[in-house]
Amino acid sequence: MKFFKDQITPLLIRHLAAILSIVFTTLILKLLAPFLEIQIIALIFLLPVIFSTVLFGFTPGILAGFCAVVAFNYFFISPYFTFLVHKTQDLITLIIFLVVAVVMSQLIGQAREGLRLARSHEWEATRMYELISELAGLQDTSSIAQALANHTLETFKLQHVEVFIGNRNGDQSLTVSLPEGPPAEDQVVTCVPLMTARGREGELRLWHQPAQLSSEEKRLLEAYTGQGALSLERIRLSQGENKARILEESDHLKSSLLNSVSHELRSPLAAIKASVSSLRSGAVDWETSARQELLATVEEETDHLNLLVGNLLDMSRIESGALKLQKRWNSIGEIAMGVATKMRKHLQGHRLEIDFPENLPLVATDYVMIEQVFTNLISNGVKYAPAGTLITLSGRVEGEFLYTRVANQGPPVPEDHLERIFDKFYRITESDRVTGTGLGLSICKGIIEAHGGKIWAENQPNCVVFNFSLPVAFDGALPEIPKEAVDG
Amino acid sequence: MDKAPLILLIDDEPQILRALKTILTSNRFRVATAASGEQGIALAVAQPPDVIILDLTLPDIDGIQVCEQIREWSRVPIIVLSVRDGEKDKVAALDKGADDYLTKPFGIEELLARIRVALRHAEQSLGNKQSILKAGQLTIDLARHIVTRGVEEMRLTATEFKLLAYLAAHPDRVLTHQAILTHVWGFSESDHVEYLRVYIGQLRKKLETNPDEPQVLMTEPGIGYRLKTGE
Repeated sequence: MKFFKDQITPLLIRHLAAILSIVFTTLILKLLAPFLEIQIIALIFLLPVIFSTVLFGFTPGILAGFCAVVAFNYFFISPYFTFLVHKTQDLITLIIFLVVAVVMSQLIGQAREGLRLARSHEWEATRMYELISELAGLQDTSSIAQALANHTLETFKLQHVEVFIGNRNGDQSLTVSLPEGPPAEDQVVTCVPLMTARGREGELRLWHQPAQLSSEEKRLLEAYTGQGALSLERIRLSQGENKARILEESDHLKSSLLNSVSHELRSPLAAIKASVSSLRSGAVDWETSARQELLATVEEETDHLNLLVGNLLDMSRIESGALKLQKRWNSIGEIAMGVATKMRKHLQGHRLEIDFPENLPLVATDYVMIEQVFTNLISNGVKYAPAGTLITLSGRVEGEFLYTRVANQGPPVPEDHLERIFDKFYRITESDRVTGTGLGLSICKGIIEAHGGKIWAENQPNCVVFNFSLPVAFDGALPEIPKEAVDG
Repeated sequence: MDKAPLILLIDDEPQILRALKTILTSNRFRVATAASGEQGIALAVAQPPDVIILDLTLPDIDGIQVCEQIREWSRVPIIVLSVRDGEKDKVAALDKGADDYLTKPFGIEELLARIRVALRHAEQSLGNKQSILKAGQLTIDLARHIVTRGVEEMRLTATEFKLLAYLAAHPDRVLTHQAILTHVWGFSESDHVEYLRVYIGQLRKKLETNPDEPQVLMTEPGIGYRLKTGE
């Protein structure tokens, strides 16, 4: 019923209007007939025909032409009020009129149709251009699906659109539906597949009225899905390329890790082995200072090895994304104190100053991880700053972040290295001069970034400063401080 | 007890077993060793030890399970050994009844100290419980609710005393955050570590000589707190 109403009624109205225009013309001409010659009347009859063709289209024009012939014959060619024609001249006039009316209607109709086609092509081209230019900038599957659904919904004036993209390369399959919510039930569904060179990537599903889509619209729809599929393919290709690059990088990393690690692990092992074997050989007496010296070497080197293994573990965890933070409300000052106590032996050659204001808020951190950050930053200071110099730890709150500062009085870091020192295996000095894997700072970076903070280094007069920031709020919340404690 | 204390080592690494056995024997302990959880439990039944040293990663059953099973019938002190970063496992083991933990690799002095604490603790829980505890300069009288530093009596709020008393009732033992929160505040499954941080901070300010370098109220990173008396 709806189809009938939407499609047939306007068509009927247009044809009716064509007939009416002839009736109207006939009435006027009948009044003027005594003053006009028959050829003039025929010419005037062409006017409503042209008018109908231009305004109402090709078939109403032809209909008007035939009606005009009938009316002309019936009312204006003698004998009047019959369809007979007596004079040859009148017959010729009638035939010419008929030919002119039909040919003219056809020509005008074609011109009109041409114009309409040109317009619809232009519309199609514009829509296509809009879609293509939006798709070109997109870098992930879900936004492509979203854009495709949006454009389809808008262009075809649909009630509901769904874009389904299948799972490839282990991604999740995804469905975008617009507008949200289930589609109306009384509508038909058209599915157009999104085909790429590698096969079916997904499909575009449209809910619409029966016969709502014209053939041009169907063509445009195919062009849309073609574009969508192309964009999907582009994404898949670039993802593949990215993966290849990451693999290559990780390969490179692994080889530099092996190089660095085999050197770093072997030297403490060598020292331990040498010390222990000389102790076992009996070459050293029980109560000599040499024995104490050797034993101290063994213990120090085992600690060093332990630190190294810990760093490697942390690094691989950060790298693989397996770093799981056990975030709890911690006092940064307390963590710093703990580290200072643990590292006392390590810090013998340097002075350590800790200055955290008492009213510093608790921050949600993983205690052990932040401990690791302090340990690495302090041992970095111990390594590079000359003996007897000062290492200071301090903290302050600014805005939504707590800033911690670890400063050592070592030589300034060249400006162009300030960022790169946080890269893996990056060392400014020759690796023989100072021990370390070149992992410490990159681990700090990984940990701080996992906490949602930032870490950076800067040169200040007489010192090198490592700063890191930690967000004060945890999932948008601040610590719940017991009331009694605040009052007391 | 006239015999030397018996220590049961449960660890699947033969090197560790060998080293610890040698060291402990030379420190005049008797030592029994087990290389798996089941074997360890069987040994603990057959020959009740005075202290158990338990590795968490075992070939057959989990160390935490071993801990749980032994706790069903015995109060023997259990010291857990685990590798670095196993905070979750350590907490789980402590909550399941372990008394202490050590991170591998550890210094032997540390282990011996922990064993001595465990033995002392076991003796105390057998006999009369101490109601007066000395830790550094502090004297904590649990019965009379009095805390003194040197000769000076310290004023504590009710919650502060409750917290201190709970720590003092288990001297030299690690108490997990959750255990403290449950006993002092009655939080069952909650995670209000911030309460603890605040109150421990206050207690340190009142009780420690230098609150920045605590000597009595010790933090166990990622796990909990410990009230240190001597060693």
